[in-house]
Amino acid sequence: MTAVAGNPTTSTANVRHSARTEVLEARPVNLDGFVEEWPEVGMVAMDSPFDPQPSVRVENGLIVEMDGVERANFDFIDQFIADKAIDVATTEASMAIPADEIARMLVDPGVTRQDVIAVTKGLTPAKLLAVAKNLNIVEIMMGMQKMRARRTPANQAHCTSARDNPLQVACEAAEATLRGFAEVETTLGVVRYAPLVALAQAIGSQAGSAGPQTQCALEEATELDLGMRGITGYAETISVYGTEPVFVDGDDTPWSKSFLAAAYASRGIKMRFTSGTGSEVQMGNAQGKSMLYLEIRCILVTKGAGVQGLQNGSISCIGVPGAVPGGIRAVAAENLICAAVDLECASGNDQSFSHSPMRRTARLMPQMMPGTDFVCSGYSATPNYDNMFAGSNLDSDDFDDFNTIQRDLQIDGGLRHVKESDILAARTRAAKALQAVFKYLDLPPITDQEIDTAVYANGSQDLIPRNVLEDLKGAQQVMDRNVTGLDLVKALESTGFSDLAERMLASLRQRVSGDLLQTSAILTDGVPRSAINDANDYAGPGTGYRPSGARWEEMKRLRHVTSASNPEVEVE
Amino acid sequence: MTKPTLDPTTDYPLSINRRDLLFTPTGKSIDDITLEAVMAGDIQATDLRITPDTLRLQAEISDKVGRPALGDNLRRAAEMTAISDSRVLEIYNALRPNASTKAELVAIAEELTSQYNATHLADLVREAADVYERRDILAESE
Amino acid sequence: MTVSTNVQDVQRSLSFTEVGPAARGSRPDEVVVAISPGFGELFTKTIVDIPLAEVIRQVLAGIEEQEVSARVIRVHNTSDLAAMSHTAARLSGSGIGIGILSRGTSMIHQRDLPRLSSLELFPQCPLLTLETYRNIGSNAAQYAKGESPQPVPTLNDQMARPRWQAKAALLHLKETELVRKDAKPVEVTPKFAAAPVR
Repeated sequence: MTAVAGNPTTSTANVRHSARTEVLEARPVNLDGFVEEWPEVGMVAMDSPFDPQPSVRVENGLIVEMDGVERANFDFIDQFIADKAIDVATTEASMAIPADEIARMLVDPGVTRQDVIAVTKGLTPAKLLAVAKNLNIVEIMMGMQKMRARRTPANQAHCTSARDNPLQVACEAAEATLRGFAEVETTLGVVRYAPLVALAQAIGSQAGSAGPQTQCALEEATELDLGMRGITGYAETISVYGTEPVFVDGDDTPWSKSFLAAAYASRGIKMRFTSGTGSEVQMGNAQGKSMLYLEIRCILVTKGAGVQGLQNGSISCIGVPGAVPGGIRAVAAENLICAAVDLECASGNDQSFSHSPMRRTARLMPQMMPGTDFVCSGYSATPNYDNMFAGSNLDSDDFDDFNTIQRDLQIDGGLRHVKESDILAARTRAAKALQAVFKYLDLPPITDQEIDTAVYANGSQDLIPRNVLEDLKGAQQVMDRNVTGLDLVKALESTGFSDLAERMLASLRQRVSGDLLQTSAILTDGVPRSAINDANDYAGPGTGYRPSGARWEEMKRLRHVTSASNPEVEVE
Repeated sequence: MTKPTLDPTTDYPLSINRRDLLFTPTGKSIDDITLEAVMAGDIQATDLRITPDTLRLQAEISDKVGRPALGDNLRRAAEMTAISDSRVLEIYNALRPNASTKAELVAIAEELTSQYNATHLADLVREAADVYERRDILAESE
Repeated sequence: MTVSTNVQDVQRSLSFTEVGPAARGSRPDEVVVAISPGFGELFTKTIVDIPLAEVIRQVLAGIEEQEVSARVIRVHNTSDLAAMSHTAARLSGSGIGIGILSRGTSMIHQRDLPRLSSLELFPQCPLLTLETYRNIGSNAAQYAKGESPQPVPTLNDQMARPRWQAKAALLHLKETELVRKDAKPVEVTPKFAAAPVR
């Protein structure tokens, strides 16, 4: 659907091709973009001759040299990492351990997570890169299995609409959380629509389950404002970058981002940073370093800021590592290193990456198989044409495949199959609640006909379009009248949606406790579960989290499963 | 009230195990935040905020589970509870590259210390002022 | 002024004449359009081969048909779209600016918004057509007049990233090589010369 069709490779007017070639030429994978490595500008996954050699020197409790750079020449990322991210007391000893030995510690089930962290906390970016370079993709997955912070994996969904239709977002959020997503994220095509869409997601999500956390991806100050009002529950798109010029282009520094991180915590709001391989080269300034090296700098900036976790796995730049050799291995490595330095990892799989279904699945496996804190960050809960993050690696069309893969391999990706009747009921409840709240708050009305259409829709193409300009005025009203999450609780209770009011209040009440500020925290049935009370205890075969019991029974359910007791019918 | 010593294994999550320690900025107990109280008008949006004491408790938990940097972040956050939403956003914007002169950042650090007793935040801002000067990302003085 | 949105009609060549340093405008009925360092010089077409001559013509036509004045500036100190567009907005008498990168990405900005925000954003350059550029010009002009136009419908192709992201990165690198950090924006006048249709 690009503006000008056609593959840029030249026509084949005079060359005779085999039928086999024609078949292969027509395969979706040949629509993907692949480029040659260009290490001088950073167009290389992890093998660059221009990446620094690991080194560190400490004097009087201060790191005065790191990865070949003297302190006087530290850029602001070097300084931040040296002063805040690396454990000065242990760095010289840890740096003396050979990289391949540390790599073995990551893979060896006999070495505990705590043992690994005792070493990684003293490592510089170049050393962490050297460790990663020793690990093949299988070893990376073995490491992730042990190093993820929370024992039980979870998943995150995108709930967006190509028309920024708040009713659609409410329905999608309800279905998403019912299917098992612990977090839902929205964003807008038109930023001014944000208050209505964020509000709709907040309400809709609680119709599917108790406790999902919601976010709205916007420019930093605007996103903080919505969080402070209680219309969103957490923030994630707080971006950090691996080179100084790109960080500045992103209009921030590690210090401003640290301040912002503390600001969220000061209001009891959970947050994580976001980074990813490829962003620096995509923004034109990788300073000749490899993608993974620069991403490791981002991971350590996150650590130094004292932020509990990171969304990474290339994220919106996935087309860049995806275009070079070893790129998807590097992407898995960046998730692992994040976990290996004891941060929560929301591990990508959130951006359209390939035309090839096989490639899309292969890209997902290094996170889904071992399990991460959030296997996707996020999975598009709508058809991809509605995904306002410009498309996710997985979308609503893939729900049944995803659930089947969980069942095939006995791996927990955080989701479950749900019967249509239950989904329709949740979507309806969310829609009716939103209709009532809009009426209560004097916002542009939602009609019963709109609700019926939205509940039974697949995507925005099936909806009755709303009056955008009226909605935008309503959105401005929400801001001007200072509508908060508490107002939504009152609106829900006043209009007969007590259950949703209770759930929303429970979520807001969590801010008072700060329990969700700890590493990898989610709220499941009203109980905070984090790396503290759901700590990953993997120590080899037979240990750690394995889907079993009620959860495994739930994972066995699919849309069509023939009954064993009566093979002429299907299991209900 | 003497500061409690927390054991992460038995006290976390505080909202389940130690509700006795959890209060709103207006002194209500977390148990007072009920739907009934909300509808009666007894709960304001300002009640749905975390207190500096609670942040320091969570910071202590972070320290004890081997996450001191997270603890430091939460301690900075504890200081920031005293600062209004609008001032927080202003200071954040002032910390962005090429947004402030060195004098402006130093003034913010002084305000944080003298007005809010926010010594950790002040350190952060002072550090930023020095680094921004060294790396040439201060605003040019008008 | 009728300007066809059909690329094939005439192949035009594009050049920009420098007028002088870009100054803050005072007339409230103007839109400032910022072009990137390599626009029309190193680069003559967007990532999907739409001639930049046509892109700029459509944007200007869109502004003009709303009876608003247009001023074009070339930004030299950055290849970042938000920074460019915000510069345009701040120099514009109406506070409304447009930014266009050589590869085609565009946005409408407003001077009081945070730099990384926007009025309307068109992030997927492979999807932008001449008609979209016309609408961008038209909408910007309407904002300049204080009106509230329907936002240009968002184009979304989830396969744009897999197909074009790496190429876009390489194009951006080439454009970024032209950035001169201390150079101020320059007002320019576009000149079109018709070339014979092939």
